[in-house]
Amino acid sequence: MTEFEQQLAQALERREPPAGFTSRVLAAASQQPTRSRWQAWRWAFVLRAAPVMAALLVVAGGALYQNYERIERGEAAKQQLLLAVKIAGAKLYDARQRVVSIGEIRGAGTEEEQ
Amino acid sequence: MKKLLIFGLAAAFVLPAWALDNNIKMPVNLDRLAARATESVDVTLDASMLELASKFLSQDDPDQAHVKKLVSKLKGVYVRSFEFDKEGQYSMSDVESLRRQLKAPEWSRIVGVRSLKGENSEVYLQKNGSKIGGLFVIAAEPKELTIVHIDGPIDPEELSQLGGHMGIPKIGVKHESAKSAGKDQE
Repeated sequence: MTEFEQQLAQALERREPPAGFTSRVLAAASQQPTRSRWQAWRWAFVLRAAPVMAALLVVAGGALYQNYERIERGEAAKQQLLLAVKIAGAKLYDARQRVVSIGEIRGAGTEEEQ
Repeated sequence: MKKLLIFGLAAAFVLPAWALDNNIKMPVNLDRLAARATESVDVTLDASMLELASKFLSQDDPDQAHVKKLVSKLKGVYVRSFEFDKEGQYSMSDVESLRRQLKAPEWSRIVGVRSLKGENSEVYLQKNGSKIGGLFVIAAEPKELTIVHIDGPIDPEELSQLGGHMGIPKIGVKHESAKSAGKDQE
């Protein structure tokens, strides 16, 4: 056996734990801080409130989207209305101008006859 | 009895379609013209859409405030306008079915101008007792056809007062011309 092998065997040699090791570990484990009543209540609240909050978020999101859609539709309707009024006004203007020009031509004709 | 039931059901489905646009039905062939047009406008605003649009018109903008006042009592605004790149893309028979619906005593033609150039304008008013219940304009030019139906009480004078605003040229004639426009001239 080489010196290295001897050192390895020594290092891996089974050793018994020091006296009282088990009781010390158990004592330390029992001293772990437990969840206080307040913390437990808080966790329960969070767990119960989460679905309600999620539902509220969905409803608020839906309302916001509906409002956005209403604004979009309203703006589109406004543009359509302005275009319609513009076309209607222009066509009435054209019709009136034609009537006026016919009146002017006829008026000039009668003046010439006189 | 069975036939009566079938007729009743058919009427229930068909009548609302006919009742659209205050009993004026836009001919289907008008929509076909859109395929041939280089530019087309199709505006269909019923009472609820007009109410919605009206809420979005600004009171601060004089033009929009004027339009808001103008449309406050209207039940609908319908516009079909087609622009073509060449002549002969539509025929007057396309609008004939509309003309047939604009009959007295409900409707009366207050303006009818026809020119040799093929520029025809017709303005009809719907009587609602002593008030105007609607306005219909058919403007047919060689490369353009426009149909406007304003359903509800409207003063054409008020509409033409928009001249000088919204891109509508200002009418450079005296107020009396409105009265002369009332005469049917062909």
